[in-house]
Order: sequence, then structure tokens, then C-alpha cells
Amino acid sequence: MIDRRALFGTAAGAAAMTAFFRERAAFAKSPTDVELRGSIGRMERLGTLDLESQQDFTLGFRVWQARDMRRTSAMLLDQALVEQGIDPKASMTYAEMLKIAEANPQINLASRTWLSNQQVTWKTLQDYFHANADMYLAEMEAADKVGPGALELHPDMNVPEYTRHEIHIQPGGYVGDPFAGHIFHYGTNSFYISVLGHNEQDQIHKKVAAGMTTPADGKVKRILDMGCGCGQMTAALKERFPDAEVWGIDIGGPMVRYSHMRANDIGIGANFRQALAEETGFPDGYFDIVTSYIMHHEVPAEKTIEIINEAHRVTRPGGVYVPLDFATTGKLEAPPARLHAMWWDHRWNNEVWSVSYRSINFTDEIAKRGFKAIDGLKPLAPQFGERNFVRV
Amino acid sequence: MAKLKTDRPTYAVDAIPSDIKDAVFLGNPMLDNLVSSMIAMGTELWATKRRLKVVEALMAEKGVTNEMIEQFVPSEAQTAAWEADRDRFIDLTFGPLANPGTTGMSADFPKRGNGV
Repeated sequence: MIDRRALFGTAAGAAAMTAFFRERAAFAKSPTDVELRGSIGRMERLGTLDLESQQDFTLGFRVWQARDMRRTSAMLLDQALVEQGIDPKASMTYAEMLKIAEANPQINLASRTWLSNQQVTWKTLQDYFHANADMYLAEMEAADKVGPGALELHPDMNVPEYTRHEIHIQPGGYVGDPFAGHIFHYGTNSFYISVLGHNEQDQIHKKVAAGMTTPADGKVKRILDMGCGCGQMTAALKERFPDAEVWGIDIGGPMVRYSHMRANDIGIGANFRQALAEETGFPDGYFDIVTSYIMHHEVPAEKTIEIINEAHRVTRPGGVYVPLDFATTGKLEAPPARLHAMWWDHRWNNEVWSVSYRSINFTDEIAKRGFKAIDGLKPLAPQFGERNFVRV
Repeated sequence: MAKLKTDRPTYAVDAIPSDIKDAVFLGNPMLDNLVSSMIAMGTELWATKRRLKVVEALMAEKGVTNEMIEQFVPSEAQTAAWEADRDRFIDLTFGPLANPGTTGMSADFPKRGNGV
């Protein structure tokens, strides 16, 4: 077993971690808990050193790619525009931008390297979990039955086609691989570090949860996290509001299984349910806070409207609705460099619904449906829209 | 990888596969494959280097076992140094790919001082 105290240099850090692990040890762990190489903080180490190192490489490559390759691409795109007498800051359509960008081999090489690296990230993770499937499936089966948090799986429910895409080119997407939660959790660490910073200890989710808007009357008894993925935001909310009944829902059965297992493993009693955000199954006015963390750009615009209506139904009067996602204007025209980044994400990151999402002004759509914007509050993370609403 | 076969419940359903694996950016699939191969090679090479770093770090201590290697956790300073070395490694092996390239090939190549 790792001496975790040795991981943290300062006395204060060691004391904090000792307290953390004492708390964690209070929860009986399943005898089938798989933790081959221990944990660093709340992140279980990957099962082999080589796999950990492969992920370390693809993370570093992604950071380098986002910095150097994209900088070169942006420079060459600007250069090509100027050569054709086009102002690089002027808005244009996707078709106009692509005609110029895709004629440049270096820009195409940037796309190639990004894509190949992302494929290695997913393949190495999926290969490992599939090669050790029985052990990890047995771990989840055992974890399904224990708390402190609850788990609701609905294997016979209809899983709509729109949710079945391989978002981020993750093999099997959110619903199609038994280890979707494992693969997503480990693979997306590199997403965070190249944009917002480290998230191995849920730092980003904790920061967002710490800033979460609360109802004016201060009552927070129940919280809903829609599209919870691997449960990081749900867990962070339960930590901030330990006395509240906190639910994370996701259509991916493997996702909510992993979320449940992981939250319990770190001693957080959040609840998880396999459900669609547009059909949560909770009673009217049940929640004081309804939120979601970058879910909406993963669903078609018409589903976003349905989800807003469902959020209105399950939020109590005076409760707050704080869906976090990227800023949108409802206009698909933008300066070429920005447009290229959005296209890249849509086409090569297989963000199937991102263009649909950007085709509406998400904030305005919420305001049309029984919610009132709370003035003076900033987005909880960079690039997110200002969406702090109170249910009327 | 083929779909996982298991008798255990998986709670997975059929996904809609992306078409990304067939993408050709570089005009010739072989060039795309070459780049993919380079990145995979880099991944494996880095894994090897990182393992060696673990071994080297442990060699400073008494007795080296495989278990010790697997359980080794780098210090903050080691992690920072290794990350810096990783970035140097990436810059060395893949940096040329970020070169925009301005000199033409064959007939367009400028003549040197000796007229060749």
C-alpha cells in the first residue's frame, strides 16, 4: 500500500489528507474492490504503470497539440485569408471557412495529429478494461448493491438514438461500452488540463460546486445533476451540501454504475439513476437546485427545449436552475479561427450535436420557459454562458 | 477492439459508431497512417522511458522489486521534472510536424553556391 502521506510535502497537506483518508476508511469497502496500485487522493491509479504512462503521454501530447499545432494552424488560416483578401476577423459561414482551411496541408496535419492522439487515449484504456473485464465487471456488480448512495438502473428502458453516438470519439460513447464510465473518467483528465487545469481530484467540479447559486430562502434539501457522466459534479455537490439528497442522472447505464461505485468508494453518499434529462421521473417541484455540467451541447436543440421544460417541472417555485454549458448566441457565423475550432470539435471530436446546440440562444430559451434570470452573477467557469435562473 | 463478450450484465446498448477511423486528412491514407503510427510509437516510447525513470529512481534505494516499481509514486519535484522532460520529448519527436514549411521541392529548390 502506498504511504499517501508521503505524497504531500507540507504538514498541513499531510494533515488534510490524513483526515480525508480517515473519513474514507469509515466506509466499508467491498471485498471485491479493485485497486491494484492504490489511489492518489481520490483518483484510483490505473491498473498498470504502462497504461498510466500511456495516458500521461497522450495528455502531454494534447497540451502540446493545443498550443503549438493549433497556433500554427491559426496563423496559416489567417495567412490564407489575407492572401485571398478576406479580413480574418470578419464573420463567415462554415462552408466558406472550410474551403480555405481544408486546402492547407499543415492545418490538415494538425487535425490528423489531434485525432490520432485521441484515438490512442481511448484505445489504450478500452483495451485494458476489456482485457480485465471479468475482474472489473465483478467489482461493479458488488458495488451495485452497496451504499451509502443509491443506484437505480433501468436496463429495459428506451435509449434514444440521439444518445448513442460516440461523443469525443470515445468507443461505444456513453451507452455502448460496459466501461464507459471508467474510460470517460480517465480519458477526460487530458481534456481538462488543456483547457481549465488539473481535475484529477475533481478540482474543477469542486470549484464549480463551491460557486453554485442557491435559492434566496437558503433551503437546499434536494439537488438534481442532469447528465452526470461519471458523477464528478454530483459528488462535488454532495460534498458542498452534505445534508441534501443529491441525485445524478444519466442515460448511460455504465456511466451511472461507475458514478455510484466511485462516489461510494470515496465516501460520498450521492444517488444515481439511469434516466433521460427530459424524463427524469421525479415528482413536480421536488428539487431546490437543478443543474447540469456541459450536457446540453451533447443533445439536439429540440431536446434542450424539452429538458428546460422538465427542469421547470421538477424545480420548486423559488428554486434555482443553473445549467452549465458553453456560451451560445444562436448564430452559426463567426470569425474563421473560432469557426474552425467549433467545426473541428463538431466533426473530428464527434460532437454530433454541438452545431445544433449553438443554433439556439440557450440562455434566452430558458428565460422563455418560466424562469427568471438572477442578475449580477457570473458564469461558474470560463466560456460558459450566464445561466443562473430562479423558477418563477 | 471487438465488442466485449461476457455473461455478466453490462447495461450497455448498441452505440452508433463514428466514421472517424476512416478519416483521411493528408491526401493519402498512408500518410495518415504514418502519423498515427508515429503517435502510437511515441506513446509506447514514453511509457518505456517513464518506466525506466521509475527504475532509476528506485535504484537509489535498497533492493528493487517489480512490486516496488509498480507502487512507486513520484515526488512533486520528480513529477515536475518528468513532465518537463515529457514535453521536451514531445517537442523533439513531434515538433517538426508544426513546421509550416516554406521551401519548395525538386525543381523549385533554390540552387546553392556551387550551381548544383
